Amino acid sequence: MDKTYTQIGTSCHRIDGIEKVTGQAQFATDLQFKHMLHARILRSPHPHAIVKRIDTSDAEKLPGIKAFASLFEVPKVLQYWFYLRNDQKKKQMFLTDSIVRFVGDPVLAIAGEDLGIVNDALSLIRVEYEVLKAIHTAEEALTQNKVSIHHQGNIAFQVTKEFGHVDKGFESSDIVVENTYHTPRQKHACLEPIGTCVADFHLNGRLTVYSSTQLPHWSKHYLSEAMGLSLNQVRIIKPFTGGAFGGRCGLIHGLEVMSSVLSRKTLRPVKMSFTRQEDFLATEGRHPMKIYMKTGATKDGMIVANDVHILSDSGAYGTHYIGVMADCLSTGAGLYRIPNYRFKGMVVYTNKPMSGAMRGYGNPQMNFAQESQMDMIAHALQMDPMELRLKNYRKAGEIDPVLKEEILSNGLEQCLEKGAASCKWKEKRVAPSSSNVLRKGIGLSIMLHGTGAARALPDPGSATIMINSDGTADLLTAAADEGQGSRTVLAQVAAEILGIDFKDIRVSDTDTDITPLDCGTHGSRQAYCGGLSVQEAAVKARQKILDYASKELNTDEGGLIMASGVICDPSDPAKKITLKHLMQKMQIQDMTLCSQIIESASGIAPAMPGYYGAVFAEVEVNMETGCIKILKLTSAYDVGRALNPEMVKGQITGGGIMGIGFALTEKTVFEKSHVMNPGFSDYRLLRSCDVPKVDPIIIESHEPTGPFGAKGIGEGALVNVASAIANAVYHAAGIRLTDLNMSPENVLRLLNQLP
Amino acid sequence: MKRNDLEIKMNINGEWKTLMVSPNERLIDTLRNQLSLTGTKEGCAEGECGACTINMNKKAVLACLVLSVQADGAHILTIEGLQNAGKLHPIQSSFLTEFAVQCGYCTPGMIMAGHALINQNPDPDEETVKECISNNLCRCTGYENPVKGIMKSAKIMKEKPHHG
Repeated sequence: MDKTYTQIGTSCHRIDGIEKVTGQAQFATDLQFKHMLHARILRSPHPHAIVKRIDTSDAEKLPGIKAFASLFEVPKVLQYWFYLRNDQKKKQMFLTDSIVRFVGDPVLAIAGEDLGIVNDALSLIRVEYEVLKAIHTAEEALTQNKVSIHHQGNIAFQVTKEFGHVDKGFESSDIVVENTYHTPRQKHACLEPIGTCVADFHLNGRLTVYSSTQLPHWSKHYLSEAMGLSLNQVRIIKPFTGGAFGGRCGLIHGLEVMSSVLSRKTLRPVKMSFTRQEDFLATEGRHPMKIYMKTGATKDGMIVANDVHILSDSGAYGTHYIGVMADCLSTGAGLYRIPNYRFKGMVVYTNKPMSGAMRGYGNPQMNFAQESQMDMIAHALQMDPMELRLKNYRKAGEIDPVLKEEILSNGLEQCLEKGAASCKWKEKRVAPSSSNVLRKGIGLSIMLHGTGAARALPDPGSATIMINSDGTADLLTAAADEGQGSRTVLAQVAAEILGIDFKDIRVSDTDTDITPLDCGTHGSRQAYCGGLSVQEAAVKARQKILDYASKELNTDEGGLIMASGVICDPSDPAKKITLKHLMQKMQIQDMTLCSQIIESASGIAPAMPGYYGAVFAEVEVNMETGCIKILKLTSAYDVGRALNPEMVKGQITGGGIMGIGFALTEKTVFEKSHVMNPGFSDYRLLRSCDVPKVDPIIIESHEPTGPFGAKGIGEGALVNVASAIANAVYHAAGIRLTDLNMSPENVLRLLNQLP
Repeated sequence: MKRNDLEIKMNINGEWKTLMVSPNERLIDTLRNQLSLTGTKEGCAEGECGACTINMNKKAVLACLVLSVQADGAHILTIEGLQNAGKLHPIQSSFLTEFAVQCGYCTPGMIMAGHALINQNPDPDEETVKECISNNLCRCTGYENPVKGIMKSAKIMKEKPHHG
């Protein structure tokens, strides 16, 4: 049996909740400073053009216009922090030139006394363009040899991997399933639009930027390179952030660098806020992918070969395309024990808005293809899809072929069993209750997602704990909380180890001046990687406390216990002292000592453990209208250990609904390279009336390397929703949807009711 | 003050204020910029996301779609005006206890929509609550917990009406 924990495993309320329900929480959009200027960006109307000349003369005459920063002088960021490793790589991270590469690419930023005057100025700028031929699709990027979006051409990245011998694998297959899948550009659509910052440059060379970034420390690195400043001259402060989902995974294209240049020119704070339309048009989205997959299985249901070809569209730039493609490989090859596996990935540039990191990071696209294939194989073999999964998934004790690490925890079997029991899989699978028009069905899918990025990327985590003289503690961490609740969970971890209440832990603001190096929030890593750093620092602090207490109590520290703010020797009731008295003595009373316990930890996580999940989707397909109604999701996820169960459920439920959006309604529509739906009226998010019941189920497999056994959850809850829905639609209506979204038009086309 | 600015009076969170606003000024800008009531959020500026929902004469309205001059003489309640004597309003505490808050950006609008509903219908059923916040987008929670938060708040206020 586990020991009893009092702080972790309980659903404490979030530590920043009161600010959020009272309106006191200050988001970047709320910040106001004295003498602050406002800035906006003039954006390209062309998908591909050379900017020959920018005439600002009329705008300059407007009173209140203070500065301009053009694309000729502002570097764009082209890569992620993998490229910070050496000076040569760093050079490849930035690009300053005169070319605009998508509709919305920044041409000129203007700073002025108020937004009204800046908007007036925008209309007075005259730009002379030499329009170039544009690439509208990933296929065109490969065939239009005369058009080159970047100097190295249109291919951003390619990778080939083969495990075993795929062609031989197909020879030994009894059945082969072969399909091509298409997935669209999904937007993060966090409620606080992506793209607000305030940059404040002082003449002493110090640049402070308030930005809702997921990666405060890496953003500091990028900015220091872009602005030619040393790292200790740049300070990033992350205010409250209105959601991120990968959309703030680095600097925002045009935002922080242009604002910083404007601030350096004016020596005044400069605030820039993108509108919702700019968020849709000119910030990163999920990579659209075309995935060809050929899968072979024996008649007893063993998958023996998989051949995967992916064409991914990074848009005009894109910072994360290498990592996203790498995740397609690692999640695909890692989930199932397939002896013969070939993976060919290619990422191309097009003259469209950039793709980047988004919740799931390549996995939702890959999983949609992989889990649709599995469903078809199960159908062909007349096997329960659950049984097919159970036969083929990689269990704990097996080696992950990409990470080359042993899988130490995998609760997938319990996810499937508990999920199936909860949704009554067997009964519903056998006898779908259907009318002629409304057909009900149920489908399932599974997924693996990595926690953090240990050894795949520079992925540091750090924490500092300082014990106060009243027995409370301060935790300094740059583990950026975008709303998921990491600050609360990290306080729980620290409190558990220090034997105090989590409310007695103050978690610092995220400010690179006071918080030590941390990779930030990506890869579902904060409970695990952040938790490990906090755990290590707290264990050290606890040891210091016990050492001092043993001297004060004149007893052996090995026998002391710490709980509820009291340190005592259980064998001698007289020997006890409160943490408050002990720390007061240490810091203030004992004037020979006057010392505070300050302990830090910094380093990389020992592993990149996979977390797992099974989703059961129940749907109703209207055979006349083509509408798919989701009746219920049952989502069971193995999170190692739920440090805060209600927050874990919040991730599962919210991720599930975002996954339904990816499956059914969320799609950026293009007319050539122009985005046709840059707003919530035409880009359809699910609303309260649209959402089904989600039944979140937590499975705890106790990851041995994790803090109290925890691993990730944030991204995974979205990953396998679309595939479960596709499989349920097949069960209901006998049609196989290989292209997202599963719109009524797509359904009717497959039902042969539309051309 | 500009030449064509207009004088309006609004009761904001219990206090009458006289303000000078330009004819095309949106109420959200008056609240956020003139009065520093930044609890009211802007998410889309076109009435689609509900983040700027406030109560105007006890009804939920979108502050991005109302001109300040239209609010002349009106009673405005924003998220900042809900707490009373340092105590959270039941709908605020219910959002905390039902885990209805994640990033918190949609929260003020969601709470104000729920507050107006309970004013009009002290005993709403789940479908009514869902319909009430169907104009409030939330990207984090999936709506289930905000619905629970509003239901719980209605229950508390029915039992102890003086809170409201």
